[in-house]
Amino acid sequence: MKFPGIQGQRQGGMILFFALLALISLEFYGKIFERGVGNYLKWQNATRPQLGRVWERDRQGVLAQSKIQTIRSILDSREESAEAIDSLKTLFEKIEPSFPLVLSREKFLELYYDFPGQWSAGIISPFELISIDSQNNWTRVLLKRSGRWITVGFIDSQNIPVHEIFMSTDALVEVQATRAVKRGRLEEAGFENDRVYPATVFLPVLQTLDPKTQQAVFPDPRWFLAKDYSITRLGIREPVVPLGSIPSLEFGIEYDTDYYTGVLLIPVPLEIANNMLSQIERTGLDISGEEFHALTAPSGDIP
Amino acid sequence: MIRRLFERLIFGFYVLALLATFAGVGAYFVLSRDLPQLPDDLEKINLSLPTEIYSADGERIKVLGQRYPVSLDDISPNFIKAIVAAEDAGFYKHKGLDHLSLMRALYMNIRERKILQGGSTITQQLSKNLFFSFKRNWIRKIKELLVSLQLEVTFSKDQILEAYCNQIYFGSGAYGVEEAAQVYFRKRARELTVLQGALLAGLPNSPNNANPFTDYPRSMRRTEYILTRMVKENLISPDEKNKALASPLELTRPREDNNPNRYFVNYVIEKLERDYGKEFVHFGGLKVFTTLDARLQGFAHKSAVSHLEALESEMKELDTKNPLQVGMVSIENQSGAVRAMLGGRNYSHSQFNRAVSNNRLPGSSFKPFVYLTAMEQHGYNPASIIKDEPITIDIPGTDLWEPKNFNDEHVGDVILKKAMMQSLNVVSVKLIQEVTPEKVIKTARHFGVTSPLGNNLSLALGTSGVSSLEMASAYSMIANLGVYNEPYFIQRIEDFKGNTLYENFYHGIQRYAPKSIYPLLNMMQGVVDGGTGRVVRRMGFKHPAAGKTGTTNSSKDAWFNGFTKDFSTSVWVGFDNNDPMVHRSGRGLTGGRAAAPIWVFYMQQALQGKNPIKFPIPEGIKFEKVDVQSGTLVDDQSAESMNVALKEETIIPPRAIEPADTLMDQVPAEDSTTSELNNVPNH
Repeated sequence: MKFPGIQGQRQGGMILFFALLALISLEFYGKIFERGVGNYLKWQNATRPQLGRVWERDRQGVLAQSKIQTIRSILDSREESAEAIDSLKTLFEKIEPSFPLVLSREKFLELYYDFPGQWSAGIISPFELISIDSQNNWTRVLLKRSGRWITVGFIDSQNIPVHEIFMSTDALVEVQATRAVKRGRLEEAGFENDRVYPATVFLPVLQTLDPKTQQAVFPDPRWFLAKDYSITRLGIREPVVPLGSIPSLEFGIEYDTDYYTGVLLIPVPLEIANNMLSQIERTGLDISGEEFHALTAPSGDIP
Repeated sequence: MIRRLFERLIFGFYVLALLATFAGVGAYFVLSRDLPQLPDDLEKINLSLPTEIYSADGERIKVLGQRYPVSLDDISPNFIKAIVAAEDAGFYKHKGLDHLSLMRALYMNIRERKILQGGSTITQQLSKNLFFSFKRNWIRKIKELLVSLQLEVTFSKDQILEAYCNQIYFGSGAYGVEEAAQVYFRKRARELTVLQGALLAGLPNSPNNANPFTDYPRSMRRTEYILTRMVKENLISPDEKNKALASPLELTRPREDNNPNRYFVNYVIEKLERDYGKEFVHFGGLKVFTTLDARLQGFAHKSAVSHLEALESEMKELDTKNPLQVGMVSIENQSGAVRAMLGGRNYSHSQFNRAVSNNRLPGSSFKPFVYLTAMEQHGYNPASIIKDEPITIDIPGTDLWEPKNFNDEHVGDVILKKAMMQSLNVVSVKLIQEVTPEKVIKTARHFGVTSPLGNNLSLALGTSGVSSLEMASAYSMIANLGVYNEPYFIQRIEDFKGNTLYENFYHGIQRYAPKSIYPLLNMMQGVVDGGTGRVVRRMGFKHPAAGKTGTTNSSKDAWFNGFTKDFSTSVWVGFDNNDPMVHRSGRGLTGGRAAAPIWVFYMQQALQGKNPIKFPIPEGIKFEKVDVQSGTLVDDQSAESMNVALKEETIIPPRAIEPADTLMDQVPAEDSTTSELNNVPNH
């Protein structure tokens, strides 16, 4: 007698047995389990998190590099802004407490000699600069502001000062009241038409002055010549920033460059200004027929 | 019956297979969420950039995070065979899982009910090294296994073995076979002999216990076992094994980390970590240019070690486990750059940096701050008179305090310069009593002393702990005539491309007028020329120098802090456990005996070949020869006189003319009129 249920069970069992036998053989000879799981994990690799020591090290490396990048960016922007400073006046105005400014020797000399007047020589004379330079170790200039003092350090490659000068922040008031450069024409700088004279009238008068007075009212001509600036006109007005307690007027010397027109503003003591104006008037009357008006000092508490 | 048994067997298989499948799938889904991603390339794991630290004289003094990865071709086959035999004989046959080893480990672990054996293949060990903690548990073992299965199908056997050889730890600080070959045999990994390869292959399993430097016999037993395994796996013949055992091992001496630069380097690393974060230092690939002068550091180390050895040989009793220690810092006055720093006698024996720890009392070397406060704020000058006499101070809430001089003797009236030279405690206590400890603390703060200072009279005798670094920096300000330069260790930091990330700029601040400091400097020159620090001159030190000794109660601390125009150097000597330093004669060791000679040995070498430079005399300073007992201008009645530096406005009176009858009676002039006329402070 046959029992179909039992026979079917036996067949199923046999199939399972052989299947297991086949699996064991495949595992034994072909490592099917390891390969299967390994390949499945490999396929899933990208979806898994980056955990563990290797990735931690990787992350730390990325973090370190990003920190380095941030520091670099800050330093680069500081360096760029220092290199972009276009005048000695701006340089001193830009020093902030606790943020020292570092400038290359070349940049400092460029600004030093570019200043349209004697103020820069008041900070340090050209002969002192030559003396510092003769030691052959001055590479940069470090400017620091601390309280009421500004330190200008001429430093070597190890950042050790070769020479240091200390100046009071009061000197900044002086530089603020001293020569400045503006873009645009005299009229745009606030000079009125009736106080504007052509260069051909002004320059001959300048030549008649003694050298000391010339320095007080006009920069070294090299300042214009080296830059290809052509002087066109001279304007006179009351100064926006008074020159300390000395009654003064402000000269505006307009010049043309290849690309724009600029004005150099120079505070001039009232006495010298009036003396010049009287001469300009005498010469100018012949040319333009304009009437001369002696100017008075701006009203205020000037003694 | 047989049929029923067969049916049950099949049913059992069926259930087991089903259960195993469910368990496997379930375990995978539970664990897969925490399984780490594998990198595309195993070589990437060695790519982090090392950070290099340089001395000021250009020597590379430390490299952080440096690995020495080598390709499999650059590793000796002797080592490769040995490591395979030792760690995973079936490495080239399995696919990440060695059934037999696993079963064996499983059986052992179940029997002992704890994880004793890993049964780990090389791939599993690599998996553990790359991703997992070293904690042993079942879940982590399964994760390790799963990752190793993926490693096997992703990378070739050679890639896995190469990564393994470059990753594993061989003890003695060596990671990777190349570094291990250097540390143990001072040779390249490709040059390893059979014996050397077997010794190294035995280390990853037990890097500390089977280390040949610590337990040579055990290490050799393990080496022999590895060689036997190699024979068993047919990787070498028995003859080769015997030849290997007979060959010389050529083991080097252990790499003793007693490099004197280490204290400085570690301080710099800690500082960088504090300022920028650990990852910046260890993974930034930086070049750190420090202020350390390796030449001077060498001098400092040599001077300290040789003198301490000499001192120990003269001491009464010595506990060999607790040797004399030293803390030393030398600062370049002009810039504030720390040129040498010794945190202890031997870095390999003690990593504690005594040069920067502020737990030792400065004793009398703190007195200059008291004197300066009195001179600056209470009208004293170096010729002012103070009576050195027994005193008793009533301190509320405590017993009466009777400060004593070092030799327990008193000299009576004495000028400040002489009191400083002889380091008279009573004089310092009298001064601080008058000026108040608050003002002295304020002065010390101006000098850059940042350690907590006790607001009490005993501060005058240096009873608050400070560090050598603070003292060298503070004394440097005296050498600089009032200009304080913050001491610094790092000159410049560059990234791996050479871009500057940080540079130190000189930051001198004039905290005192030069003419205020010079009289103090001159007094301290007196200490070296004829005071408690005269040993400096006796030892033949010719350069103009100034300084102050310091010795605390029972000779527990000995200091000498001194400077020339170029360098300020502070030296502390003492025992870590605060034992007194006693000479076999029974006398306690002083700053002049224990610390000053180290200062002299060091400074002599540091200044060798340099011309002696005098301290510049600032404007507004004059010199007067005064009577030591009366503080008046020297005259023919003066028993002892001394040159003192004074501010120009200071007037030193001549000795008061005594009444004729008094002179005739030869009575010493000690009346009130005399003391008013004499040089007493103008309060």
